[in-house]
Amino acid sequence: MFGYRLARRDKPLPGGQFLAFAIGLAVALVAGAILLVATGFNPIEIYIEMADSAFGGSQAISNTLTQAVPLGLAGLAVAVAGSMGLWNIGAEGQIIAGAIAGTWIARLGPDLPGPLLIVIMLVAAVVGGGLLALGPAIAKAHLGVNEIITTLMLNEIALRLVRYLVNGPWQDPTAIGFPVAPVLPEQAALPTLFSRANVGVIIAAIVLVIFGVFASRSKWGFELRVAGSSAQAAEYVGISLRAKIMTVLILSGAIAGLAGGIRLTSSDRIVEGIAEGWGFAGIIVAALALMRPSGVALVAIAFGALRVGGTAIQTQGVSDSISEIIQALVLMGALAAAVFTAYEITRSGSGTGVPTGAESISGSAEASAEATP
Amino acid sequence: MTAVELEGIWKRFPGVIANAGASLSVRSGTVHAVLGENGAGKTTLMNVLAGVYAADDGTVRLDGVEHQFANPAAAIAAGVGMVYQEFRLIPTFTVAENVALGAAPTIVAKGSIEKQVAELADRFGLATEPGRQIWQLSMGERQRVEILKALWRDANVLILDEPTAVLTPAEAQELGRITKTMSSEGRSIIFISHKLDEVKAFCDEATVLRGGKTVASSLSVTDLDAGRMAELMVGEATAVSQRRVRTTAVGNTALSVENAKVVDVHGRAVVDGVSLTVGAGEIVGIAGVAGNGQRPLADALAGLTALEAGTVTVDGTDLTTSSPRDRNAAGLAYVPEDRLGVGLAPRMDAVENAMMRNYTTLGNGFFIDRNAASNQAESLIERYQIKVGKLDAPLAGLSGGNLQRLLVGRELDGDPKVLIAAQPTRGLDVQGVAAIQKILVEQAAAGVGILLISEDLEELFALSDRLLVMHEGMISNDFDPDTATRQAVGAAMTGA
Repeated sequence: MFGYRLARRDKPLPGGQFLAFAIGLAVALVAGAILLVATGFNPIEIYIEMADSAFGGSQAISNTLTQAVPLGLAGLAVAVAGSMGLWNIGAEGQIIAGAIAGTWIARLGPDLPGPLLIVIMLVAAVVGGGLLALGPAIAKAHLGVNEIITTLMLNEIALRLVRYLVNGPWQDPTAIGFPVAPVLPEQAALPTLFSRANVGVIIAAIVLVIFGVFASRSKWGFELRVAGSSAQAAEYVGISLRAKIMTVLILSGAIAGLAGGIRLTSSDRIVEGIAEGWGFAGIIVAALALMRPSGVALVAIAFGALRVGGTAIQTQGVSDSISEIIQALVLMGALAAAVFTAYEITRSGSGTGVPTGAESISGSAEASAEATP
Repeated sequence: MTAVELEGIWKRFPGVIANAGASLSVRSGTVHAVLGENGAGKTTLMNVLAGVYAADDGTVRLDGVEHQFANPAAAIAAGVGMVYQEFRLIPTFTVAENVALGAAPTIVAKGSIEKQVAELADRFGLATEPGRQIWQLSMGERQRVEILKALWRDANVLILDEPTAVLTPAEAQELGRITKTMSSEGRSIIFISHKLDEVKAFCDEATVLRGGKTVASSLSVTDLDAGRMAELMVGEATAVSQRRVRTTAVGNTALSVENAKVVDVHGRAVVDGVSLTVGAGEIVGIAGVAGNGQRPLADALAGLTALEAGTVTVDGTDLTTSSPRDRNAAGLAYVPEDRLGVGLAPRMDAVENAMMRNYTTLGNGFFIDRNAASNQAESLIERYQIKVGKLDAPLAGLSGGNLQRLLVGRELDGDPKVLIAAQPTRGLDVQGVAAIQKILVEQAAAGVGILLISEDLEELFALSDRLLVMHEGMISNDFDPDTATRQAVGAAMTGA
């Protein structure tokens, strides 16, 4: 009881979060440099190579943006729920559900004209992702069942479903036993925008801007933030928590489903690994954006660049382990910065024990833990 | 033989002195009542004895031996057990597991622990089933588990902090019998209570605290009557607040409540057939010891919880089934007891908190007009002299007085017909109290009907036109503050 603990800041961080991120990044890069030197590389050259491969030229930028699309949408899905204090850990499964729904449409209408087919596939993906979140939404809104558990478990169900489909009913008969579905019709591929980037970038950008604006400026977004700040305050002003939980969780699933739809129409067929961890990466993106939908796009691009750069330096001879450690260090530095933007370290056990207003919020786990001597 | 001796205990918290030289002496084998109003320092004193707080000054002696407890574990080791108002049990563990948790000698077979717990329970007549999980138990049964926990650790001094607050009358009687059994074995029980009948029925002696000091020690309960007890607890009039002078006549009925009934999650009636009216321009005070239904009544009137029975009418409009938002639109404003967390959202800024009642009307369509929102916040800040740092900083850093001015100001901004103010000045400093009371008086003069729920009798006597006393979910008395004595009101609060 006489240790240190994290407490939510009452006042904003001095110097602002940009300074915090700069420090986090600097610490990470120095730590990475030590690793690079120890394994015989010039860190400056490697870092320049990372930056160049992520931002130097249109091909580099197209690679970064292509990575940023699923990161941004998955991150948005998590952040929309997170802005009212809900955790959607099921973006991974919802991406798969979206891709399954899109594939189903392509199988039903393989001869539809391209734009129409793509639009219907994406709409189906949105519906598919939303449907996967429907159960957790109902359980949370009406029975108070923890949405972290239900959304997480549905990831496994979605994964088993796609595995069954590509090994069974949807297996490509020409693939001589490989667990893949047949290739999609050619017109189901999203048109190219420039270099390797396709129209998915535009779709994601529009969705991110709309939600960014709505979350921070609209009455709907305000209600979300009130509910996220204090459920009791929301009920006090007459915001229906049940209705909000339902719409927000389903919407969150739908956004992740769209990410699945774009992944599908950016590749030639559905495979077991269609989600590739994008959904889980979305949790990191949302955390780095401090659960603010308006901050997701920037974080997604930075994260995408990090992945592109991390892959590129492997062609310089840096081992994949070192590359992944550097990526992880940068993410940890940024996450630490995000944490210290919202929290500060205080001495605990000074024995005052007087609850301040902030600690009495809605009988939260934090507050009741502190009440125990 | 003196089991417990606390002498000259001082305990200061930032801005508050909880104990100012309090003392307590408990004889072995007795049940000793500790009485006092909310904030009198009872719980702090008990926490010092239980090792939760280290006293700033003073001595703690058990059976004549001086102790300085570094933590609760040290107090437990010395034989002091405390049963808190909020139980500290693990819901998914069984009774036996909770009892033995952290105090089992080695790894022991489950059956053996259950048998030992059952034997201990039998010895003290504590009806319990060691194999059941806590979440399946009633509040009375859970309390017995807490008592068993203390007995398991061989507590010689058992502190019960308002033990009957969560119990049904039958369970309270049962508890009284259990404490007698324990004291007849030579153990000492400290019984914190507000209720005179229980003190007289269950306890041998009583110590009264007021303002962090001991005002009467080890009185025999046979010498204690309602008037004396209330006088000791409440004290003489200190004339801090001036009596309000009414300048306008009471108008039409602004708020009318008929036969309101509210039940808690356990199905107990916490508000039981309350009827009251508040006229326009009238301040009706509700006095009562905490936990006698004031908060559920206020929450139900504001629409946060549903009424089991009864009606609520504001200015002639029946709002019994209306949502909180519709009630607010119909002219019902509410300053809840928890100003930060219910009335205000701590992680949002002043502008956002100022617009929580009327954001739907700021700006057309989907979006909020941010200029209008800022202007509204600035005008509240100016009008009620609220000291905020930056407009866009989270509220959690503001002082209680500034938070309350913002909350009260926002609630009055919509020109309500009725204001329900629950504990509006609790925890504020002198200027803060004066500022809020001034606002209430001004609003009453302007024709707002105010239902003032407070634990501060001075405030109620100074401001109210009528003074109701709430006891066990019912309005037990209706006093005229100009003629009633504090003793009479205090006695009514304790159920005499």
